[in-house]
Amino acid sequence: MKDVLKRIVFGKREKYWWMNALVPLISILLAFIVGAIFIKITGRSPVVAYKLLFGASGLFPGPYWKSHFAEMLLSSSMYIATGLGFAIAAKGGLFNIGAEGHFIVGGIAAAYLGYAKPFAGLPKFIHLPLIIVGVMLAGGIWGAIAGYLKAKRGIHEVITTIMLNWIALYLIEAWLVTGPMKAAVETGVSGTPYISLSAKLPKIFPPTRLNISIIIILAVTFLVWYLFYKTTFGYEIRTMGHTLIFGMEAPKAAGINVERRTIQTMFIAGAVAALGGAFMILGVLFQYPPIFEGGYGFDGIAVALIGQNEPLGVILAGILIGALRTGATTVQLAHIPKTFPSIIEGFTVAFIALQMLIRYWIMKFVMRKKKSIQSEMGGGAK
Amino acid sequence: MKALEVKGIVKQFPGVLANDSINLSINKGEIYAIVGENGAGKSTLMKIIYGLYTPTSGEIFVFDKKVDIKTPHDAIGLKIGMVHQEFMLVARFTVTQNIVLGDEPSKGIVFDYKKALSEVKELSEKFVLKVDPAEKVANLPVGIQQRVEILKILRRGAEILIFDEPTAVLTPEETEDLFKTLMKLKKDGKTIIFISHKLKEVMAIADRIAVLRRGKLQGVVEKGKTSEVELARMVVGRDVVLKIPKAEAKVGGTVVSVRDLMVKSKRGIVGLKGVSFDVRAGEIVGIAGVEGNGQAELVNALIGFTRPVNGTITFDGKELRVITPFNIRKKGMAYIPKDRKMRGLVLPFRSRENIIMGQHTLYPFSKNGVLNSIEIDKFATKKLEEFDVRPRDIHTKARNLSGGNQQKLILAKEMSMEHKFLLASQPTRGLDIGAMEFVYHKLIEEKEKGVAILLISLELSEIMGLSDRILVLYNGEIVGETTPDKTTEEELGLMMLGLKRQKRVAQ
Repeated sequence: MKDVLKRIVFGKREKYWWMNALVPLISILLAFIVGAIFIKITGRSPVVAYKLLFGASGLFPGPYWKSHFAEMLLSSSMYIATGLGFAIAAKGGLFNIGAEGHFIVGGIAAAYLGYAKPFAGLPKFIHLPLIIVGVMLAGGIWGAIAGYLKAKRGIHEVITTIMLNWIALYLIEAWLVTGPMKAAVETGVSGTPYISLSAKLPKIFPPTRLNISIIIILAVTFLVWYLFYKTTFGYEIRTMGHTLIFGMEAPKAAGINVERRTIQTMFIAGAVAALGGAFMILGVLFQYPPIFEGGYGFDGIAVALIGQNEPLGVILAGILIGALRTGATTVQLAHIPKTFPSIIEGFTVAFIALQMLIRYWIMKFVMRKKKSIQSEMGGGAK
Repeated sequence: MKALEVKGIVKQFPGVLANDSINLSINKGEIYAIVGENGAGKSTLMKIIYGLYTPTSGEIFVFDKKVDIKTPHDAIGLKIGMVHQEFMLVARFTVTQNIVLGDEPSKGIVFDYKKALSEVKELSEKFVLKVDPAEKVANLPVGIQQRVEILKILRRGAEILIFDEPTAVLTPEETEDLFKTLMKLKKDGKTIIFISHKLKEVMAIADRIAVLRRGKLQGVVEKGKTSEVELARMVVGRDVVLKIPKAEAKVGGTVVSVRDLMVKSKRGIVGLKGVSFDVRAGEIVGIAGVEGNGQAELVNALIGFTRPVNGTITFDGKELRVITPFNIRKKGMAYIPKDRKMRGLVLPFRSRENIIMGQHTLYPFSKNGVLNSIEIDKFATKKLEEFDVRPRDIHTKARNLSGGNQQKLILAKEMSMEHKFLLASQPTRGLDIGAMEFVYHKLIEEKEKGVAILLISLELSEIMGLSDRILVLYNGEIVGETTPDKTTEEELGLMMLGLKRQKRVAQ
């Protein structure tokens, strides 16, 4: 079992392969410990708070488990989408802050394709795939703009993706949603019109809201893993990921078309992150509201970092963040603000940033253990 | 008095025994050289002494006292200093700031730059190591940067100075300066440990020489009682013929033709001022010259990293308007970069992944964009064997290979690609004799296969031994064209320094 896990998940031949899983786990644990200290300082009970948090997170069976579980997976699918958006770019050596923008671009595209006339009348099995393709194209193009500027003009992607986030936000909220895409006044709806029935994601776990978004995103994650590790495209972007940020030029010298790959990587990253926005519109809101409470894009960065930019890691981290967010409202019963899980998330990322130190500690521990075993054996021989 | 003594040092890395019970004893005030091939364990041993690695077992004595060195900080405390192969300097800081870094004189809590300046001046006078204390390190030539490194460790009171391949980055003149410095330091009673694989240098400077091979101490010899040939035999473990085998050139048609090529350097200065030459199939054209006279610009233009300002490059009869690494590689160019880490390999990648870089899109490594790992493994196993990359494990990360083996991996990668033209930029840089010999044989093999080879090298012996034609590059211009049998190393040397020019026959 251990061997199978090792081969599938962590790459063969890595001597300390378990380290890649242990470091995020320790970071999460430390974050919860620090979180508990915070709660204690403010005079509340960490035990009660965590009990409430996890009780309603959907991770563990309990009262209303079914609906918590569904809600958790519903939000997890969005976190996984934006997390992948960051992770894909990161594999190619790009620091993509644009998932937030890709997310809302995906959302608005989904809303439009969901209600607009020529599409709205189509049968579901045509309409829904059409929307998904359209959303991915829209998000992909939004991502590719930053990729293009990086590849051809040398403008750093951090700057362009942040700027594109704002451009997307104002295009949508200040123009589209209140202008050309506004619902007719007589319907009494603010924001865009509601999407047609054929555009809604099918539910899979009635009576809860859980829909096929989680299945879609798991399939996409698998495809991303396949792309990374099994295709020449993935091979090329990994060569870039290992070299670009250090200013090394080996991939370029080997004849890899770094510029084109940069644009394509950003396209894929944008397309996948945009799926998250589509899930939101097609499965939760059913329209694009006038003011959209986002944040999924930025949480995606945390998800990718906790998941170490590996597809499987992103799934697990996405589920963790989804669970924390699902349980968040209940911590108010322990008189703790519902934003508390963000603190946990933040600390986890902070500890992940310290991963070299954590790795060093673990190695030291391992070495000491080995040494003591050796000396015991040596002592026995004498 | 013994300055440094190591007893039974063993260092076990996963899968490699880097040091196998090594015993050395180094007297105070001597220059003690340690030679060996790349990966023989020289650097490992020094890193143990400097506290960068902890030995698996063994003891270290410094000035007859048993010590336990856990960190470089401990080593500095014991008056051990190390000049690393890659300098540890902050380019934007001045010489003074660099020298005092980590141990700054201060006025209260404020850094006392004036005092530091005078301290550095004093230090530089005391050891006769001339530096300008106020100059920025970025503006200094490599030789002077090294001097800054030496001053830095002298200021910390080092009595034992370790030099890890100090001449690898130096020009011949700078090397001579360094040797003068070393002799001076020796006279002052300092103990010097000199790591190298250049036997000529070792014979010139060392008092005693220890030879390491595959982690084992082969023996310690006194300079007076040995010869370069004997040392070479100890280093490699067999007789080495450093003579380069000569192969008759069967020259074919022109493969690469460069006309009036003018290229700007990265800083925007014109580094290559209109050069013209041809490379024909089956010949090796050597480009001699001191580093920084246009070699980098020539390479960058040929591989498509820089767009030339002027001039044309014709490949296989077709003039190339725009060269990118992607399209010129496709046309059949192989490239051995001078900097393995920057341009040759992806360090966190395994051998099997590195070896297909550039040909990963071709059958059988991939089909329709999907990699075939069975074929890749097969290919990698075969190539590691053929090019004698050690360890043979295709899953070793390039980062964990020694320099010589990294170079062999690059050769394996480049030479297994289909190519008509090979651009070899300092292909033996930092290699030991064994690996050098290997590279030479491979280059000759390529030539016999009818590949056009452009060899750029700083080593005159290499240029003289391998080339069929020699071009001398000085200050961005070709100042001479000759053949090895019509010239001498001395004459080439003069041309390289711009002291002699030769009319070229117009092509």
